[in-house]
Parts: sequence; C-alpha cells; structure tokens
Amino acid sequence: MPLDSSTYALAHLRVDGRRWKELRRIHGQMSTQAAADGSSYFEMGNTKIICTVLGPRQPTKSGGRDQSREAIIEVEIGVAGFSGMDRKKRSRNDKRTQEMQYTISSAFASTVFTSQYPHSTITIVLHVLSQDGALLAACINAATLALIDAGVPMQDYIAACTTGSTASYASNDEDADPLLDLNGMEELELPFLTMGTSGGEDKVNVLVMETRIQMPRLEAMVSVGLDGCKQVRNILDGIVREHGKKLLSSR
Amino acid sequence: MPREADPSNNEREFVLSALRENVRLDGRAFDQFRDVDLAFGEEYGAADVRIGKTRVMVKISAEVVTPYADRKFDGIFTISTELSPIASPAFEVGRQDQTEILLSRLLEKTIRRSGALDTESLCIIAGQKCFHIRADVHVLDYDGNIADASCLALVAALMHFRRPDVEVHGEDVTVFGLREREPIKLQMQHQPFCITTSYFDGGEVMLHDASLLEEQCREGEVIISINRFGEVCQISKYGGPPIDGLSILTCTNMALEKAKMLDKVVKAKLEEDEKKRDKGGLMAELRADNEREQG
Repeated sequence: MPLDSSTYALAHLRVDGRRWKELRRIHGQMSTQAAADGSSYFEMGNTKIICTVLGPRQPTKSGGRDQSREAIIEVEIGVAGFSGMDRKKRSRNDKRTQEMQYTISSAFASTVFTSQYPHSTITIVLHVLSQDGALLAACINAATLALIDAGVPMQDYIAACTTGSTASYASNDEDADPLLDLNGMEELELPFLTMGTSGGEDKVNVLVMETRIQMPRLEAMVSVGLDGCKQVRNILDGIVREHGKKLLSSR
Repeated sequence: MPREADPSNNEREFVLSALRENVRLDGRAFDQFRDVDLAFGEEYGAADVRIGKTRVMVKISAEVVTPYADRKFDGIFTISTELSPIASPAFEVGRQDQTEILLSRLLEKTIRRSGALDTESLCIIAGQKCFHIRADVHVLDYDGNIADASCLALVAALMHFRRPDVEVHGEDVTVFGLREREPIKLQMQHQPFCITTSYFDGGEVMLHDASLLEEQCREGEVIISINRFGEVCQISKYGGPPIDGLSILTCTNMALEKAKMLDKVVKAKLEEDEKKRDKGGLMAELRADNEREQG
C-alpha cells in the first residue's frame, strides 16, 4: 500500500508524527549474552537487532588463511522470518544479505585495528528480530556496540543512520525537505540513503543508496545525514558510558 | 583457492609514490578513461566493450513466458553475470565469489531498480504472456574497472536489442520471426552508467577507470550510477577508509561528466551500426513503430 505523503506539505509532520530532523527512539544495551565475547541489543524505532561478537579467535575454517597479517572480519546476518510485515524466509545466500554482510565487514575492517590480531578472525553475528527501516544502519550501530563490549580495539565508533527526501524523484519540486531516519513505510516510498560515519568530523565510512534521485537533492541529504550520524554517535557514546559505570559500580 | 597475486610491496610503493606526484603509470590524467571501444555483433543485442585491456561482452535474448502471478502487467527482466576463468585465473567456475555478487547487485540496482527498462512494455497479454528479457554479462578480460565496463556494455546491448514483433487477436498471439517483420526496440526510460572512483590517501587522490594494479593498491572506491540528466541511481561506498562527505559530492559531479561522455560514445556507435544495417535506406519503412498518423 503506498504511503500517503501528501499531507506532509501541510503540517510538516511525517506519518509517525515526527518533524524532518527527528530521529526515532534509540535504545541500546550491551553485554546481553553471557556466552559471547561481546554482545549488544539495539533498537532504532521498531527495528530490533541482537548482535554477538566472537573472537578475535583462531580461524574456524582451516586452510590457507593462516598467513594473514591482519584479522579477518566475518559477518553473518540472520533475518528472522517473523521480522517483517509478511512472513518471508530470506535465505542466507540472498544477494542483498550478502551485500550487507560485505558492507559491514569492510566498514569495520578499516576501523578496527586488525593488524593487532594476525592469523585470527572476528565474527560478527547479527540477528534481525524486527524490521522497520534503516536495517543496515541499525546493524552497523549494533555491531559497533558489540565490538566495544568485546574489547576489540577500534579507532572510533561507526554511527549510522538513513536520510531521505520528501518528494519522489519524478516531481521537480524545489522545496523538497530532506528527512532524517526513515521508517519502513517511508523507505518503501521515498528515495533514501544509508550513511555511516566515524570521528567527530564529517568522515563518511559507508554510503549506500539504492533509489533514483536528482543530484542537487543529494547535497541536502548528505548534510542532514552527517548531522544525524553525529546524534546517533552521541547516543551510542551515552550507552557505552552508562554500561561502563554499571560495570564499575558492580565490582 | 587461486587468488589474484597481490602486488609486491615495492610495486605498491612505486604506484603510490607516482600518484603522489600526480603521475599514473600509464600516463593518463587522473580523471581520464582508457580507450573505450564499443562494438556490436551481427545479431541484435550483442555488445562488446573494451576499456583498455578489460573486455566485457553482453548478449540480450528474449523469450515468451508467463508473467509472475503478482506482477501481471510486467514483463520479466533478468541480468545474469558470469566471471569465468577466461577473464582471470582468480575466478572459478560455478563458485560465486564476492566480486561476482557485488557486480550483479550493482547492475541490478543500476539498471533494474532504477527502472531503466520499461518492463510494462514487455507485457503481451496481462497475466498470461509476456516477454522475458535476459541479459548475460560475460567478463572476458579482467584488467580493472569491470563495473563500469559491464554497465556500459549492458546499456549499449539493451539499446541495440530488438525484440520480435507480436500481434494479439483476442487470446491468440502471433510472434513474428526476424525475417517476417522488422523487430522492435526496447523501451528505455533512461540510460544510467556506473562510474567508479578509486581513492588513495584518504581521498587526496581520486582516480577514474583504475587499472587492475591501481585497484589492488587503492584504499577504497565509490561507485556511482548516474544518467545524463543528472539523476543518481545508486551510490555504493562499501566501507573502506573514511572520506569527506564533500568529496562524495565532488565524485558525483565528476561522474556526471563521465556519464555524458559514455552516453555520447554509445549514441555514436549505435548510429554507426544502424547506418551499416540500413542497406538501401529501407529501414524507415520496415519499422513497425514508424510514424503513424496522429489522430
């Protein structure tokens, strides 16, 4: 069912009542699973993800890999059948999932100090419990938290969020607003991109866009995205600090 | 698992230090493509693209099938990519490796998701018959930049391809052979081109059309698909070291120029090919979509 975005121009409120520059509720927890080396639970609106990190450890698959001078980051994404609106089984070898796995692994390969762990693998396992837009962004944020929990040395957090643009590409309307953090319904209808940044400055690690959009529109989306990522980063930082305090006080 | 041998440390240093002095090993400017050569086959829908030593061949074929039950008014369009050992010993038969998955996803996003081919025009009888257009992408020689080459070849082949003409009388469909009636062009809505920008030194050096050696030495890449109207169809920067948000916007601007350049190449070659086929100037009369009287 197409989303009715025609009322946006009147009140500047989106379907879920947010303004253009508002994030959804973000909630995160660390050390949720005792068995894993690092784990986290992350919610971005109704998108819910559990992430576990195993390693750095010896590569489980033997053969030829031992000569590596730096750690290999493996990513597995499991999308639960009940996570979407209709129950659909997404296979592990789905190309979209594999692309996401590749994106996450290469994003973290440049942020984690992989050279500290030669001959080893770090496995990031992501379970998608519920999807409502910003799947890749939520996966990246969850992985960041879990990696920090595992104590893997990293240069910085990678914080990610999505941005969209109100009008679809066809209409040439000048006063199209960029939107921050689209939900699942908006994502179906509007052009959007996923962006992951690290560091306080505007350094982009990941940028993935799959929909058609006019070039001038892109600039506003990127700048809103950079700003959104900064907000997400602060929230992630808050979660990590709170977790640290709890750990210290329980000693 | 055979792998592409990594360049030695000395070689890598050499490439990088040359780039820092604004020199590419083959003497090109940073934003210059290697020679782009496009050739069409005898049949409709066969395109052969060479960018430097990289060579990609695309063949389009059409058959009549039943449409998917949930998309009754749409034809079917599939792209299949194949990286075989003919291109490079690093590719194996029957095993999908990372490069192949990324390439096929890239083409899928660029051509299919952006709606470059109008699939509704492929419908013959809603819910019963439609055309299935299949594009087979074969990489024949691998010397870097297969994304740009495959996308160029695919777009050129789609524009060159003609599907058989059909006639519908109630429930009866007649598909005319190529000899009986002049086949019909596919309806393309726009022509997107992939432009890969490779970056070095955290975005200090940006290269277009990197050769294999340059690809092996690069820090990361940004792949942008854009058509000549300046509509961006896809951006993918999968990880890699971070670069400025601003440089991505610069990349799109440069990509637009390149896309216009490639667009011109395709148009010129298509025209050339059409002239070659138009023996005796009969083509205009044979065409099924010739000018009809406006009523």
